[in-house]
Amino acid sequence: MSAPGTDPSATMTSGKEVLKRIEYSGEMLVNMGPQHPSTHGVINFLVQTDGEEMTRAIPEVGYLHRSIEKIGERCEYAGFMPYTDRVDYIAAMFANQGWAMACERLFAIEVPKRAEYCRVIACELNRIASHLISVGTMAMDVGAVTPFPYALREREFINDLLEELCGARLTYNYLRIGGVAFDLPDGYSERVLRFVDHFEKVLVEFDRLITQNRIFVERLRGLGVISRALAIDHCLVGPNLRASGVDWDLRRDLPYSAYPDFEFAVPVGTGAVGKTGDAWDRFWVRTREMQESCRIVRQALQKLPEGPVMAKVPRRLKAPEGTDAFSRIESARGDMQYYVVAGPGEMAHRLKIRTGSFNAMGIIEKLSRGIMLADLVALIASLDVVAPEIDR
Amino acid sequence: MSEPTQKSLGGWARDVSESARSLWEGMSVTLSYMFKKPITTQYPDRMPLPVVHTLPTRYRGFLEVDMDTCTACQACERACPIDVINIDLIRGDGVTTPKTAMERFDIDIGKCMFCGLCVEPCPTGSIQHTREFEGAAMAFDNLTLRFVPDPAKPYPAYKPPKGADAYPRKPLGEIVRKLIREWDAPAPAFPQRDGQTPRPGPAEVSHVPR
Amino acid sequence: MSAAATAISLSLSTIAKTSNPRSPEQLVDGLLRARGIEASSPLSTLAMVAALLAIAFIVVNCAAIAAGIFSWLERRIAARMQSRVGPNRVGPAGFFQWIADAVKLLLKEDLIPEGANVHLFRAAPYFMMVGFACTFVALPFSHALIAADLGVGVFYLLAVTAFVVVGVLASGWSSNSKWSLFGSIRSAAQIVSYEIPAGMALLVPVLLAGTLSTQGIIRAQGGWPWQWFVFHDPAALAAFFIYFISALAEGNRAPFDLPEAESELVAGYNTEYSGMRFSYFFLVEWGNMWVMSALATSVFLGGWQLPGLDAARFDALTGGAAIGLEIVSLALFALKTMSLVFVIMWLRWTLPRLRVDQLMSLCWKYLVPVSFAGALFVAGWMLVVRAAPVLDLLMRGALTALGALVVTLFVRRTLSNVRDVGDRLDVRGNW
Repeated sequence: MSAPGTDPSATMTSGKEVLKRIEYSGEMLVNMGPQHPSTHGVINFLVQTDGEEMTRAIPEVGYLHRSIEKIGERCEYAGFMPYTDRVDYIAAMFANQGWAMACERLFAIEVPKRAEYCRVIACELNRIASHLISVGTMAMDVGAVTPFPYALREREFINDLLEELCGARLTYNYLRIGGVAFDLPDGYSERVLRFVDHFEKVLVEFDRLITQNRIFVERLRGLGVISRALAIDHCLVGPNLRASGVDWDLRRDLPYSAYPDFEFAVPVGTGAVGKTGDAWDRFWVRTREMQESCRIVRQALQKLPEGPVMAKVPRRLKAPEGTDAFSRIESARGDMQYYVVAGPGEMAHRLKIRTGSFNAMGIIEKLSRGIMLADLVALIASLDVVAPEIDR
Repeated sequence: MSEPTQKSLGGWARDVSESARSLWEGMSVTLSYMFKKPITTQYPDRMPLPVVHTLPTRYRGFLEVDMDTCTACQACERACPIDVINIDLIRGDGVTTPKTAMERFDIDIGKCMFCGLCVEPCPTGSIQHTREFEGAAMAFDNLTLRFVPDPAKPYPAYKPPKGADAYPRKPLGEIVRKLIREWDAPAPAFPQRDGQTPRPGPAEVSHVPR
Repeated sequence: MSAAATAISLSLSTIAKTSNPRSPEQLVDGLLRARGIEASSPLSTLAMVAALLAIAFIVVNCAAIAAGIFSWLERRIAARMQSRVGPNRVGPAGFFQWIADAVKLLLKEDLIPEGANVHLFRAAPYFMMVGFACTFVALPFSHALIAADLGVGVFYLLAVTAFVVVGVLASGWSSNSKWSLFGSIRSAAQIVSYEIPAGMALLVPVLLAGTLSTQGIIRAQGGWPWQWFVFHDPAALAAFFIYFISALAEGNRAPFDLPEAESELVAGYNTEYSGMRFSYFFLVEWGNMWVMSALATSVFLGGWQLPGLDAARFDALTGGAAIGLEIVSLALFALKTMSLVFVIMWLRWTLPRLRVDQLMSLCWKYLVPVSFAGALFVAGWMLVVRAAPVLDLLMRGALTALGALVVTLFVRRTLSNVRDVGDRLDVRGNW
């Protein structure tokens, strides 16, 4: 459905241009954000709308830009680790992991097996926590408030566990170049297992409360359908890509860390209620991924090897100038990549972080044509964009 | 998006029954929580235990330095990615005055990101994260924890005994709790221009550099 | 002056003719007569007007206090359902929170945005207040407690509740904010659409009772559940649900809270309001819950009717017994209404919000046809019952049994929910 005054072939348009066009049509321009409850952080959307039906929504990013990449070029390799927490503060463990892996490749450090297992346990717990935020806020954006506190309650249990592990609830700074900061505390695996058992039951309840809810399904089915080709064209990653039916998970397809040791399924969107790649599929894929994460955590605790959690790392980390390293991990929001070029001193010459949310933002304008205003918030939520990760 | 759809009577009835089912499921879930104990706590006064005592030992709260075991090696200062720690050393002759003493050991808690990188290189475990996290200050300046209270009386550096693997340390949190109490001190006076002019009136306030 | 007074006394006497003998006007009239003052004297008119003002004062304040208490109740219930504690600082279990909030809102600055239509902006909350307060005229509270038992009670209630939409539209349009405009337009569309199923659903008890007066409809029912209109026949049961859903939509309550959808429109039509004017909107929203529940209780759930006590025998009672049972009937009515209010809150904290087009399709494709068919069915059923009264008893018994079964199964399901996640029942902890 295309409204008058729009050119479907145009992909990116500036706000000024839209304003100029709107002058001659009966449409109106509404600013959604940067202070809006459902933009998930400081993001602005220029919404061109004809009543309830939108003509398009143009995302404007950059409100949360903190030049983390540049800071990485002015900071020692080890000292940059706490900054990576801030790349994606909802899933900080993954950003830690990506940076640690990039540096380990740069300095050719072999990480002990136990440390890898610790990383997997911490990361998978963090993935559950991140997905809980995602599904909870998505339910809230569709208007159901209660699933959100339920999701946050479970996330608090994970935060408690991670706090016990590394001392912080949000910005973990748990991983180190060459291993992890602390070994698992005494009795930790029993507590994690108790949580995982409890969580799997709660997930069933959560499904009954919201995932299968008729109004929720009706709101999300067929909304923002991303076809397989479109997803690949827009470089979507992670759950957004898998919901479109692309069976691609770095943990399985480009294995890193200790992931080859574990058995887990990769949930792929099937269009169970509508079309493959609609908003409900993205929601559903996240709930299933939480289940799979529980499985991985169980296996990791079972197979946990003995040994040190930190490799021998030289006090001064230095690599020949110009050498580079690259790491790819499957973060909660998909493929997260770090590219680092060593500089002359103990600092990087160039650092680039590639995150999933930024690409997900790019597809919103295309998907927003002709949908309702109320659907836009559900669409944004279904893509699970996190403002700090977009802007870094 | 909302293309008109023709619904059969069966589909119509299925819609109604599906809605009734999801009402049934959803409402029974929310009702069951009415009869459970809320998970949240009534912080801070209606808690079975003070929160500080329920935190794990690894909790990264306010930093604390035990000056009696500080070797003045400045490893923490170097490790800090954001220059929160400031240490000023003075050298003495080693006879009448100590060879190395610290005139200043400041940690700016207002800037600290509680990453824990400074704790790791400390040879004696003098700098530690405590479990203290509660405190409010009247001014940013008050947020700086000064572990050498008086620069005129520098702290001599600690010489660890050879081959020791444990160092005496004051109970964790004791020092920082005392320092936090000083945060309630009133804010320093508003900066005045060229030393003597009186505080600017309301009309001028906007021109005062911050 | 005298012409106006005559007009008022005339209208009062018209109302008095259609009301039951225990209405306030009759009370005032009786008092005056006892002192030897005739109804035609100007003193009588003055006394009537004074009584009217007093009643209006009491009713509006009761409504405001009820709305305030509901705000506390809703927050506590929502909190409990979300595994939280809710307001807990002011008074026992945070009960006086609503007073604290009211004081805060009274003292806040009354902001009027630049570019707003000032007069309309200021007037909009009062439009809503008036529409809301007017409903209390015809709402019964107990056997005798009713401001005026209008002969056209249900019709009057439907008419005044629609007045709220004027306030919503005015507030949204005059705010000079696009979000407010979205909210108010949504609200207007919604309220106007849902008037139809609500009216058709209310037609069912009106048909069954043969009167539009709220007290009359209650009197046509009985105290026991199988004597209620809701269990009269399947169409009446459906009408109850249709009325309930439409009332939710008219009151802008979730899952139909589109006009103030906080995740989409920030706060809808009241985005730009602050202070006391803002609080009027919420007063109306929470007070409306009482109105819609009280109306549903009156016309479907037997109102104040006490089990085992006929309305006629109730009328004949005098002295202490009458006053005692009056209080019991008031309590029973309040209990039924409060349970419905609880259900409204419960729904709000369970369901997601509908989209605008889904809202409309629910109204026009589901509720309107069913309500029309239901009204026809009831008319036919009444003929059938007249021919074979035993069918009436059977149907009422079967529907009541069905209701009891559903409630039992639901309670069992809820209890198993608690067990399923490895929790246990605990209603006393953490208040």
